[in-house]
Amino acid sequence: MIWLDSAATSFQKPPEVKEAVLSAMERMSTPGRGAYPAAALAAETALRCREEIAELFYLDNPERVIFTMNATHALNIAIKSLTPPGGRAVISGYEHNAVTRPLKALGARIFVADAPLFQEAAAIAAFEKLITPDIDVVICNHVSNVFGFIQPIEAIAALCNKTGKPLIIDASQSAGMIDINIKKLNPAFIAMPGHKGLYGPQGTGVLLCGDINNNKNIRTLIEGGTGSQSLSQDMPEFLPDRLESGTHNMPGIAGLLEGVKYVRKRSPAAICGTERRLALMASDALREMSDVQVFSLTGLRDQTGVVSFRVAGMDTEEIGDALAEQGIAVRAGLHCAPLAHKSAGTLDTGTVRISFSAFNTSEEVLKFLTALKMILKNRG
Amino acid sequence: MRHILSEEYDILIARSVTYAQRTRKALERAGISCRVFRAPMELSNTGCAYAVRLPTGNLREALEVLRRENLNPARAFLYRNHEYLEAAL
Repeated sequence: MIWLDSAATSFQKPPEVKEAVLSAMERMSTPGRGAYPAAALAAETALRCREEIAELFYLDNPERVIFTMNATHALNIAIKSLTPPGGRAVISGYEHNAVTRPLKALGARIFVADAPLFQEAAAIAAFEKLITPDIDVVICNHVSNVFGFIQPIEAIAALCNKTGKPLIIDASQSAGMIDINIKKLNPAFIAMPGHKGLYGPQGTGVLLCGDINNNKNIRTLIEGGTGSQSLSQDMPEFLPDRLESGTHNMPGIAGLLEGVKYVRKRSPAAICGTERRLALMASDALREMSDVQVFSLTGLRDQTGVVSFRVAGMDTEEIGDALAEQGIAVRAGLHCAPLAHKSAGTLDTGTVRISFSAFNTSEEVLKFLTALKMILKNRG
Repeated sequence: MRHILSEEYDILIARSVTYAQRTRKALERAGISCRVFRAPMELSNTGCAYAVRLPTGNLREALEVLRRENLNPARAFLYRNHEYLEAAL
């Protein structure tokens, strides 16, 4: 199978990740439940994973690295901590349903910083206009999961710091690919999956907690056993326990540790460079095909290794299905991000999205292009 | 829009991937072969959707099986001559 759906999950992992998962299943229980070797090893591994992640994102205190099930879980914690019911949120025009649905559930008033695709200056201006004193929270995805658009997160963070408004960064498509410095950005939270650019197993996610004035302001999504302060019926105020109740996914965390070590060894810049090279190869070729509309600028400016396209007169899901028949995995449709499609003008058709990882090759891109040409040639 | 497949089939639209999987299992238990796939964009009025594809000639029986199992497809279509025609449930 040729995996071009790494924006959904990075299917191919470094071999150390799988070995760590298996080893954890054989040797670890969960932290905070006992003093026996299996619990101690679990606790040590969890701490090492927090430390590696803290170093990757320039976070001083590894206790502010929270393990979640995925980025959606992390975003829910962040959004529900900062947005009161009926509160006011400014978001970019490219947010995923993992942001818009929690806001809707809260009955929030949502203000969309509308900007055309790949127009950084317009995005900054839109945010500047909307961040007013009555706003409760600002939320921005660093990179669009549909179009790979790298949003001007430094400028948006600067606006939030200047106005004193808390920022939540959705780093689902940038963690492990772009250098993210939590100290410089100073957001309230950064949410990310463990299973995409960090090459961990599915079932892992991370929430980085920034400089929140008081941990009590971080609302709990789930309450339960933490292996700490058990007599108290309130969740602990300290992190990470406040946000991690129940048994940990130690096989996942052990695997995530190896994934993060791989990313740090290769460097996010090198990984992104590989992905962009392949994405550029693909997008240049797609642009030459008749009836194909590719969503990218020349040279893939302001874009990661995620490319969307559509074909005039063809259903995007059918293209995806036809590629799947030939062993090529892509994602078609709305990508759980109807807002992004609305902003880009593709809501009625969706797009076909190809997205790369550190493990894709030029040969795979050529096979994808050949397969697509056959599909276009054989259409009725 | 002219669709690409030439093989004719019937299709049931499900509300979620889980529902599509339950639908498939119920039909296979009844001896109706089928498969789960992503519904073409044109057929979904809720954005992305999953569907179950059946060989032609099985739709009436399939709907009966699903009614007994308390499974209700959102919509049904017949794929004929490169076009989708909605069928009454």
